[in-house]
Amino acid sequence: MAMATSKITPTVVESVMLPKLIRLDHNLYGAAFFLMKLLPARFILDRARDAGLLHDGSVIIETTSGTFGLALAMLCKLRNYKLFIVSDPAIDPPLQRRLEDLGTTVEIVREPSPTGGFQQARLDRMNELRDAHPGHFWPAQYSNPHNPGAYAPFAELLTESIGKVDCLVGSVGSGGSVCGTGSYLRLLFPQLKVVGVDTHGSVIFGHPDQKRMLRGLGNSLMPANVNHSVFDEIHWVNAASGLSATRALHRQHALYMGPTSGAAYLVARWWAKRNPDAKVVVVLPDEGYRYQDTVYDDQWLQEQNLLLADLPEEPVCVKHPLEAGTEWSCIDWNRHTYEQIMGAPFQV
Amino acid sequence: MESQFRNDAIVCPEGLSSRSDFNRPTGTLKPGHGVALAHHGELLQGVFEGTDGRLKRVLVSIPCGIFKSEVRFVPDDSAVVEVEPHWKIKSSRAIALTLNSLGKHKLGGRVQIRSNIPVGWGLGSSTSDVTAAIRATANALNERITPHEIAALAVRAETACDSTMFGERMVLFAQREGIVVEDFRSSLPKLEVLGFNASPNGNGVDTIGFPPARYSWWEIEAFRPMVGLLRQAVSLRSPQLLGQVSSASATINQHYLPTPHFQNLKEICAEVGAVGLQVAHTGTIAGLLFDPHDPLKERRVEDAQTLLTTIGIKHMWVFQTSGNGLAHTKKAGNGNGNGN
Repeated sequence: MAMATSKITPTVVESVMLPKLIRLDHNLYGAAFFLMKLLPARFILDRARDAGLLHDGSVIIETTSGTFGLALAMLCKLRNYKLFIVSDPAIDPPLQRRLEDLGTTVEIVREPSPTGGFQQARLDRMNELRDAHPGHFWPAQYSNPHNPGAYAPFAELLTESIGKVDCLVGSVGSGGSVCGTGSYLRLLFPQLKVVGVDTHGSVIFGHPDQKRMLRGLGNSLMPANVNHSVFDEIHWVNAASGLSATRALHRQHALYMGPTSGAAYLVARWWAKRNPDAKVVVVLPDEGYRYQDTVYDDQWLQEQNLLLADLPEEPVCVKHPLEAGTEWSCIDWNRHTYEQIMGAPFQV
Repeated sequence: MESQFRNDAIVCPEGLSSRSDFNRPTGTLKPGHGVALAHHGELLQGVFEGTDGRLKRVLVSIPCGIFKSEVRFVPDDSAVVEVEPHWKIKSSRAIALTLNSLGKHKLGGRVQIRSNIPVGWGLGSSTSDVTAAIRATANALNERITPHEIAALAVRAETACDSTMFGERMVLFAQREGIVVEDFRSSLPKLEVLGFNASPNGNGVDTIGFPPARYSWWEIEAFRPMVGLLRQAVSLRSPQLLGQVSSASATINQHYLPTPHFQNLKEICAEVGAVGLQVAHTGTIAGLLFDPHDPLKERRVEDAQTLLTTIGIKHMWVFQTSGNGLAHTKKAGNGNGNGN
């Protein structure tokens, strides 16, 4: 961003879209976002506007149960676009109320599709809406290159504040933040290590699709925006480790962040200790308020059998994604493609 | 091409003309002298968002003291500016604009330009001439003129100009508007440059006729972290970080003006341990950047010279940027050599 000449911003988006950088250890920097998805939501809408696809009152349709929807809802309210969000029963009621308060129409798909579950049912309903609204705009965060492309201002903040970055650690869900930031940084630092954090049962790095307890990272579908050959190293963090690390981030650093932040912190802390001369940046995508009654409630953790006395010290290193058991695991991905690692391209 | 410019036919630009209100007597006409250094291509050239929120084409030049332009201006009351060599028409236009903006509508004069800056290599020969000419004019009239004012005149004289008038001071400069988009409030940190012409037998590049690069949206965004790293490089006075920006900018520019032997040059850069590779973004000059405080520097430069010879580059030169702490913030004086 051009150097600010004023501390007054036109909207809340400009004031909170970049993270605070916090030194968590001598070589570990946490990038704590208020709501990271504001960056891609804003960039996607800006580019669509510049291409003449958006006008006052335009209809925008997306399917999401997460924070991308919230970011879109904030921007659509501020820019006077009409937003439809298709979601499923997994959406938490406070988020739904917040979206509706911002004028968003939230449609909840109640029945899973016989083939493809809720994800497919959501896509089906979204396509019905898209047919019903000619001239609408679909942000398509999983395939729109403007999602990863949105992270240049974040990369600018990192280079301006830290200088040379040796390692970027972040959770992978849509492929936006880590692939995008990593690509911009690697133009300057070709040796940059990019470490992706996924969770067991996510298909992104080769696991069979399964129910996932750790939410906000991983995916049941393969997002086109994941560029596998960006990654040097992949970790699978299970729910108990990820949630305990979320609490550790709060207890040790007073950072009240969500579970994707915790999972990334677990990996980054380990990586930074093993590489004391490297400058490590960990992406912490959102705040913890949505998880007050879950991750930040010991009783809930205990009921779910997710309460750990101590954080695991280190991952189990495997040679193939399918060797990863239920514990925190890692693999040297070595900037390979999915096909190079798995022996075959991803099958839907 | 005409080599004469009628001063009194020029419309006075806004801003500078207000000075004539002071009606300071210039006394008898005396000759003026001005000098301007060349630059050695750019550390970065691309697109960046200005404080007005608009994208601008920008560059950061590397000042180079081996090449320079010197101008002697002998004013008279002919209202006609004559330049020698006669084809340096941009300089006569610049002098006419300067006289006019200083309110000297009746003045003209003879201009002599002496320059050792090769043309078409991307060393900014024409902006150096223009800058020296404007300084010579101001010097002749005992006027003080700031780099910002010179830039505004230079861009009118030659449609686009580089940031030569700022000397060693590091600025992110909008070359088509002649304005500073970001002032790094410092000189360029100290660098040693092993320079050469990557296309010694070529015809050079017509820098003004060369079409502006049509950067992709991704490249436009990629310039943000590059400028971010420049800010950190300045605050740490780090040749390494400057080198990383320079190599990245050179890499993007290969899509628009390929540098001969670029792949070889990148390999040589890595092999000898140079901190970066630098190119003229509209020209054929290139350079390997070294940390002047690196104890192994001499050997690295020698190794690079040997390796460059193997790819047909015979003629090379070495220079350092001065890197002298904070640049002066006061206005530049008359005919001052490098604008600091």
